[in-house]
Amino acid sequence: MTVELEATGLSVRYGGNVAVDGVDLAVPTGKMVGMVGANGAGKSTLINALAGWSRGTPVVRGTVRLGSTSMDGLPPHRRAAQGLVLVPEGKGIFAELTVMENLALVRPPADPTGRHLFSMEEIHELFPRLAERRHHKGRMLSGGERQMVAVSRALRAAPRVLLLDEPSAGLAPRLVYELLETMRKLVDRGLSLLLVEQNVRATLELVDELYLLERGKVVARGPAQTMRNDPRILEAYLGSLTG
Amino acid sequence: MTFRHLANPLALLLAALAYFVPALAGGSPVAYGACTTIAILAVMSYGADLILSYLGEVSLGHTIFWAAGGYAAALLSVNAGWSGLPTAAAAVVVAMVLAVVLGLATLRTREFVFSLVTYAAAVVAMEIAFNWSFLGGSDGIVGIPPLTLAIGSWSVSANGNDQLWPIAWVVLMGTLLFIHRFRHSRLGTSALMVQMNPDLATALGIDARKVRLGVFVASAPISALAGWLYAYQRAYVGPDMFETYFLVLMLTAIVIVGRRLLLGPLIGTALIIVQQTFFSIGGDGDKIVLGSVLAAILLLWPRGLVGLWTVLRSRPGAPTR
Amino acid sequence: MNILQQLINGLVLGSGYALIAIGWTVLLGAARLVNFAHGQLYMLGAFVAWAVMTKLGVNYFLAVPIAVVALGLLGVVLQGLMLRPVMQQNLTSLMIVTLGFGYIFQGGASRLFGGDPERFVSPLQSAEIRIGEIWFTWQDVLTLVGTLVLFGVLWLVLNRTRVGAIVRSVAEDPKLAQLFGINAALVYIGVFVFECAAVALGAGLVAPRSPILTSMGFDEVILTFVVVVLGGIGSVTGSLIAGFGLGLFTALFGALVSSAYTTAAAFFVLLAFLVLRPRGLAAR
Repeated sequence: MTVELEATGLSVRYGGNVAVDGVDLAVPTGKMVGMVGANGAGKSTLINALAGWSRGTPVVRGTVRLGSTSMDGLPPHRRAAQGLVLVPEGKGIFAELTVMENLALVRPPADPTGRHLFSMEEIHELFPRLAERRHHKGRMLSGGERQMVAVSRALRAAPRVLLLDEPSAGLAPRLVYELLETMRKLVDRGLSLLLVEQNVRATLELVDELYLLERGKVVARGPAQTMRNDPRILEAYLGSLTG
Repeated sequence: MTFRHLANPLALLLAALAYFVPALAGGSPVAYGACTTIAILAVMSYGADLILSYLGEVSLGHTIFWAAGGYAAALLSVNAGWSGLPTAAAAVVVAMVLAVVLGLATLRTREFVFSLVTYAAAVVAMEIAFNWSFLGGSDGIVGIPPLTLAIGSWSVSANGNDQLWPIAWVVLMGTLLFIHRFRHSRLGTSALMVQMNPDLATALGIDARKVRLGVFVASAPISALAGWLYAYQRAYVGPDMFETYFLVLMLTAIVIVGRRLLLGPLIGTALIIVQQTFFSIGGDGDKIVLGSVLAAILLLWPRGLVGLWTVLRSRPGAPTR
Repeated sequence: MNILQQLINGLVLGSGYALIAIGWTVLLGAARLVNFAHGQLYMLGAFVAWAVMTKLGVNYFLAVPIAVVALGLLGVVLQGLMLRPVMQQNLTSLMIVTLGFGYIFQGGASRLFGGDPERFVSPLQSAEIRIGEIWFTWQDVLTLVGTLVLFGVLWLVLNRTRVGAIVRSVAEDPKLAQLFGINAALVYIGVFVFECAAVALGAGLVAPRSPILTSMGFDEVILTFVVVVLGGIGSVTGSLIAGFGLGLFTALFGALVSSAYTTAAAFFVLLAFLVLRPRGLAAR
C-alpha cells in the first residue's frame, strides 16, 4: 500500500503559541482519512500547513511529502500544481466571480500522470445543480452551492491528494451527507482524501482511517472500525453533539 | 528605550550639552544654521511621530500644521506687528483648530485611507495657500521681522541663526519634554491601550474616538511651532512649505532610527541635515539620497537602524540576547 | 463663454484625466497599492519620449511606444524591490516606499534631463480642427480615441478573459488565489507594469499640451486621485465616467467661477466623499 501524502514531525507556531506539536500523518493512496477533534485542537492549522498556506504568519517545521516529492519550502500555488490541493475552511470561492470564472481560474495540469483529470462533464455529473448557476456570481450562491463550486475547482486541478477543511460548516445536515458521500464515491474511484471535520458522526461512517487531534497532538489513530469503539472518539462525538 | 529610567540629572546634562553643540562644532554661521535647522525640522517631525507612535497611523498631512504655524507667524508679525510670543500662541491655536477639523474628518478612517485623506487635505491646503492673496498667493509673505520675544519690559531679539539657536534649543527641549511626559499622561496611556488592546480599553470606559481626536490635536501645535520658528529663520513663508521635501524628511526622520524612541526623530533629522549640509551631492543628488534612504529603510530594515543593529549583534559568534 | 466649447474642453480634459488615472485605479483595485510615484512616472514617461526624440531623432509615433516599454521595464524593477511588503499586504509601508521612489525619480530626472522646461512636440498638437466657433486639435482626438480604445480593451480583458478573472481574483483575495494555483506575485508585477505603461501612454498623449519640466508630475496627477476615488477603486467604467465628469467640472468651474481654484474645489469634493463614505475605500 503506497502512501500518497506523508507528514513527519509537523509543528506550527503562531507567535509564542504552539498550535500543532510534532504530528506524524499519512494518507494512503485511494483512502479517505479523517481528522476530528475539539474546536481549537489545531485541525485547520494542521491541514493548512500541509498545503503550505495560512491567512496569518505561522512558523512551520517538519516535512511534508507528496508521494516521493518533498513539498518543503514550496509556496501554496506550487503545491497545488503538484497535486496537493486544499479546499479551505470558510471562504473557498470568489464572491465577485461567476461559477464559470471560478472554475476557469484553474488550469488542469499539462502532465497528469498518475492523476485523474476531472473534465467539466464529470464535474457536472457530480454536481448537476452547478450547470444552471454557471453565470451566477459567487455571492449569489447558497452555502451548499458554494461548497460544491469550491470542491469542483479543487477537482479541476486533478489532485493527487485532496485536503478538505470542514466542508460541512454552515451546511444543512442533508447537504453535508450528500457532499461527503460524493467525496466517498471519488475516493472509491481512486482519489486520496484528507478530511478535517467537526461532524464526527458523518466522518466515522465514511472514512477508512481516523485521527483524533487534541491540543495540537495526535492522541489516537487507527482504522475506522477500531476507532468507532474508542472511548475518546465517543467523547468527541458527544462533544460535537452538545458543543 | 525612553530614558525614563535615567535619572533626571543625566537628562539635564545631555540637554545642557546639546546647547553647546554648535559652539563646539566651530561656532561658525554654518554650524549655527545647521543646528537651528535640525532643531526646527526635528520638532516638525515629532508632531507626525506622535501620531505614528500613539495612533499607529501615518499622517501625510502634518505639513498643514507646519505651514499654518509659519503663516500665522508671518501674517501676524508683518501685518499686525505682533511679537514672538503672541504669534507663537496664535500658531498653536490655529493648528489646534485645523487639527480638530481634520481629526473629525478622519475619525472613522484607518490605515492607508487615513493617510490618503490627510494627504488630500494637505493638497487642498496647498492649493488655497497658492491661490489666496490674503496668504500671499504663490509669492508668499516676505519681510518677516526678526523674532522678538517680549515679556513686560524685557525683550530679546534674534538676528541671525546664532541668536535664534537658543530659542530653537528651548523649543526642541520643550518638545522632548512634552513627548516624554505624554507617554505617562492620561491621553497617552489611553491611546496606547486603545492600540494594543481595544477591548480592554472599551471595558475601562475609554472613548477611542475622543482619544484619537485628542492625540491628533496634541500633535498639531508641535509641528506648528516648528513652522513658526522656520518663518523667522527664513524671514519668508510661502506655499513651498507644503513641498514634498518636508513630508519625505519627516517620514524618513521618523523611521530611520527606529520606532518609539524618544531621540529617534531628532537623530534622524540630524543625520539628514548633516548629509545635506556637509556631504551634499547637489540638490538633485540629495533628493535621490533622501528618497533612497526612506525606501531602503522600509524595504530592508523596517525597524530602522536600531533594528539593523540588533540583527548584526545576533549574528553567529556574537553574544545572543 | 461658448458652452459648446467648454463642453469640448471638458471632454478633452476628461479623456486626459481618465487615461492618466486608469493605471492607478487598476493597481489600487488589484493590489491595494497606492502609488505615490505616479506623478513622477508620468514625468518620466514624457521625458523618456522627449529624450528619445531629441537625442536619437526618433519620431513622435515611435517615441511614445518606446517610453511605454521603458516604463514597463522600470515597473518590473520597482515591483521586484517591493515584493516582500506587497505579499504581506503591508499597505501603509508600501505607500511610503512609493513616496520615496517618487522623490528619487524627481532628483534623478533633474540630474539626467536638467531643470529647464522642454518642448515635447507632437505633430498633431498644432493641427487644429475648427468647426464653426469651436476648435480642438488632432492631438485631442488622438487622446480621446486612445482613451476609449484602452478602456475598451481593458474592460474586455478584465471581464471576458481568464487573465482578467485571475487579476480580479487576486484583487478580491490574494491568499485564496494561491490555493487556486495562481502565483499572486506574478499578478502584482503584471498589474504594476500595466500602471507604469499606461501612465507613460498618458504622458505621451497629454504632455505635449504644454512644456514639460522635471519638477512636474504633482499637479498633473493629483486629480488622478479624485478620479479614482469618485469613480470607484478598481472600476474601469467608473474611472472613465469620473474622468469625463471631472473634466467637465474643471472646464465649467474654471470658466464660471475661478480657474485657479478648480483643483482645490475638486479635492474638496473628494474630501467630502472620503469623509462621508470612508467605506468606499475599505479593502474588501
